[in-house]
Amino acid sequence: MTSRGTPSRFLRSVLQNGLGRYVCQLKRVSIVFSKKAQSSLGVRDFIEEGVVDYAKKNPGTVVYVSPQPSNIPKIVAEYLNGNVREELVTNKTSSQISDLLTKLTNQSGLDVIRLRKPFHTDSPSIQGQWHPFTNRPPAIGPIKAPQRDAQ
Amino acid sequence: MVFLTLSCWIRSRGPDRYWKVQEVLKHARHFKGRRNRCYTLAVKAVRRAFVYATKARKLKKRNMRTLWITRIAAATREHGMKYPALMHNLTKTSVQLNRRVLSDLAITEPRTFLSLAKLARARQQEGFRAALGDGSEPPGVLSRVVMLQ
Repeated sequence: MTSRGTPSRFLRSVLQNGLGRYVCQLKRVSIVFSKKAQSSLGVRDFIEEGVVDYAKKNPGTVVYVSPQPSNIPKIVAEYLNGNVREELVTNKTSSQISDLLTKLTNQSGLDVIRLRKPFHTDSPSIQGQWHPFTNRPPAIGPIKAPQRDAQ
Repeated sequence: MVFLTLSCWIRSRGPDRYWKVQEVLKHARHFKGRRNRCYTLAVKAVRRAFVYATKARKLKKRNMRTLWITRIAAATREHGMKYPALMHNLTKTSVQLNRRVLSDLAITEPRTFLSLAKLARARQQEGFRAALGDGSEPPGVLSRVVMLQ
């Protein structure tokens, strides 16, 4: 778990998202669960109560509900930049699953890896970045009008 | 004749060796030489790398602070002062900027840093006057202590 061995990125927003209109970065949510297993009990409760409200609150996100014979219920979230996040929801209650869904909705699709700096600016320097000549007086003076001694 | 002992000699080893080896090798992929390919060498190298990473968390804080101090010292020397004088006089004028912010100002905002250096120099002169003078002059403007509560 070294800093060079693990990937890292700089803090950024996806195309300055909140500046004008906010676009929810979550493209698609697929809920994979089984109709009869005990581990998907919370998922089934959530689908009975909360899924329709969630889908109405987030009109930009497509919600797919796919009952399959699977041991492990999953939520697969796909984002606009192509990243796919899978979260396992075995033995979770309905409220925990709705909290998880709000967390996935609020995330941008950028990777969850180490952030090098907790801040980012596009314009770090207002007064001009320092260079070796900033604080040195100029050797030759300002340009003066040509002297009229020749006349 | 039936040979029965041959099948007794076949052992069933653990099935997961490949993944256990890959778990270690994935942290060694950016190493130099055979340490990024051979498991025996990689185990030692990866353990060393993790130990260095743990120790470096404290060292990073120390190194960053010395870097900031070096940069602030260089910037103040351009303006004719020295680092200890600058820091002491800034704290006396209750300017509570830390070294990280001061070094960033020195790089990206040189005129602001010049004004801070001038402030520190003025406070220094007031301190000299208060110490060397006889007390007949009033105390300087920047020497007023502001109670913020």
